[in-house]
Amino acid sequence: MADLALHSVEKTFGALKVIKGIDLDIRNGEFIVFVGPSGCGKSTLLRMIAGLENVSGGTVEIGGKVMNNTPAPQRGIAMVFQSYALYPHMSVRENMSFGLELSKTPKAKIQERVDIAAGILQLEPYLDRSPRELSGGQRQRVAIGRAIVREPEVFLFDEPLSNLDAALRGQTRVEIARLHARLGTTMIYVTHDQVEAMTLADRIVVLNGGEVAQIGTPLELYRNPANAFVAGFIGGQQMNFLTPEQAARALPDTALPDGTETVGVRPEHLQQVTGGGIEGTIDVVEEFGEYALYHITLDGDALPSVTFKSSATGVGAMGDRIHLRADPQHIHAFDAGGLALSVPTRH
Amino acid sequence: MQKSGKSWVSPWLSGSVPVLIVAAIPALIFVGVLLYFTGWALMFSFTNLELYGRKATEWSFVGLDNYERLFTRRGFLESLWTTLNFTFFSAIIGQSILGFTLAAVLRNMYGGVRSVLEVSLMLGWLLPDIVAAFLWSATTSKTGLVNQLIVIPLGMEPVNFLNDYALPVVILANIWKGTAWSYLLYSAALDNVSKEVVEAAKVDGANAWQRTRRVILPIIKPHIGTNLLFITIWTFTYFPLIYALTGGGPGSKTEVLSIFLYKQSFGIGKLGYGSAISVAMLVIVGVMSLFYLRLLKEPE
Repeated sequence: MADLALHSVEKTFGALKVIKGIDLDIRNGEFIVFVGPSGCGKSTLLRMIAGLENVSGGTVEIGGKVMNNTPAPQRGIAMVFQSYALYPHMSVRENMSFGLELSKTPKAKIQERVDIAAGILQLEPYLDRSPRELSGGQRQRVAIGRAIVREPEVFLFDEPLSNLDAALRGQTRVEIARLHARLGTTMIYVTHDQVEAMTLADRIVVLNGGEVAQIGTPLELYRNPANAFVAGFIGGQQMNFLTPEQAARALPDTALPDGTETVGVRPEHLQQVTGGGIEGTIDVVEEFGEYALYHITLDGDALPSVTFKSSATGVGAMGDRIHLRADPQHIHAFDAGGLALSVPTRH
Repeated sequence: MQKSGKSWVSPWLSGSVPVLIVAAIPALIFVGVLLYFTGWALMFSFTNLELYGRKATEWSFVGLDNYERLFTRRGFLESLWTTLNFTFFSAIIGQSILGFTLAAVLRNMYGGVRSVLEVSLMLGWLLPDIVAAFLWSATTSKTGLVNQLIVIPLGMEPVNFLNDYALPVVILANIWKGTAWSYLLYSAALDNVSKEVVEAAKVDGANAWQRTRRVILPIIKPHIGTNLLFITIWTFTYFPLIYALTGGGPGSKTEVLSIFLYKQSFGIGKLGYGSAISVAMLVIVGVMSLFYLRLLKEPE
């Protein structure tokens, strides 16, 4: 197990700079999630930590040692790939023992470690099968098993759940969380899915365009997004952004900070009122059972649509008119550059 | 599919018997011609048919005489040995290994060098055999390019490579001529190896050699089988380049089975014996193919 530090890490492909100087300190045993839209550089950053991409600038340190030029196998890392990347011609057991075999680990030791990993991941019945005989979820468990037997200091996960169906994704997510609790190893996990980021991470690193948009615990990012990008990216449903005029109607008694260009309100922080507030027509109702999402087109031209989340009954149906106000304790104000301004009424 | 009780023919065809019959005609003709010629060779391999003279019309069955001759007379076994050498070194070792190496190295390269190498490979493949034979002959003869450019400037006596090292020259010429095929096939095969699998092996600590031997080669094993099957059949029965380059000589140093067969059948005119040689070649190639087809099977 080890600390991991990135200092001004950069990556360029020809003239294109995809990672623009990232600083990050990861404590031993932390679960860190890199999240961001596609093309934000999160996978590249992970591959640089793994030693699969050269570092163009800055340093990657693992356990206090600069690893920029250390080959992947000597970095004390193990990686789980999106496509599982199992060796198709080897059995599950051979897949898991391949790395140890290459490092000349004694046979008995290999057997022991594979058996322990298979036990943790409930893979015992499949050890002699070939990967093609396994389901997607089982294959991903083998890939994780292959990482476990290496007893790495840092686990790297590159979008490991993307190829699984929704139900299995939820289940495997819990298994990975359990695995982290059990092993206590540093884990770095790349995903574009903010649900995975919120549920798994000790700290989330939100990346945008090769730069860190914000680093923080899931709740910090949810409650205090540093900018409009993070505000829009993190959260179960996309945050609503209102113009100052709309905000003035939605928040009649609240003074907004000077320089406010947009006001962010999450769908769960809107409230239905009988009159006043912002007004619009319900376009679509998405019923989830425990709550429903109402997609509303507001009257007027600027930023005309908002989403309202409510578990109340009788909110309205498609085509109905609706009046909404925002909860002043949960609003976010952003300046022209998208940076968050402090709002006095917020808790 | 037959097990399900349904016809294996596409529904469009099976819907109409006349269409089915019309569609089957080319296949039937093809199979018929194939069987006719094979049957012809098989039948005449038991006769003393000759190309000229009395036995061209008044031939008779001689039982297994021709097959006995394969093993008792000089010629066939020596020629078989030459053919096996030629096939092993030019196809299996030369074309296949060189083709794989080029495919593995060039796929990580872009731009000029790769284009130049690919074009040269293709040129060798596309050049007619007779032209290629002339080129190689001009290059390796006593007054040829190799002597003019290398041997003589080094102060050594010029060497007639085509005469002194006939089989190696023929093998090299065939490697040069046929590597493009293996290169293309292995390039396609390597495209099918997932990049992440190779990276996983890298993270697992496999060096380049271990990644190739333990991961990449096993994954493309069926492709290797296909390639070896093709190039073995082609090379084992290959004729024009060798014949144009050496005519089987000097002596019988480069007399592969196809040339031996040609000389016996059309030089000396012993068509019956020639048929027996061709049947023997068919059997040998068949046995080799069975071996490769086992490689082609997906691992259980």
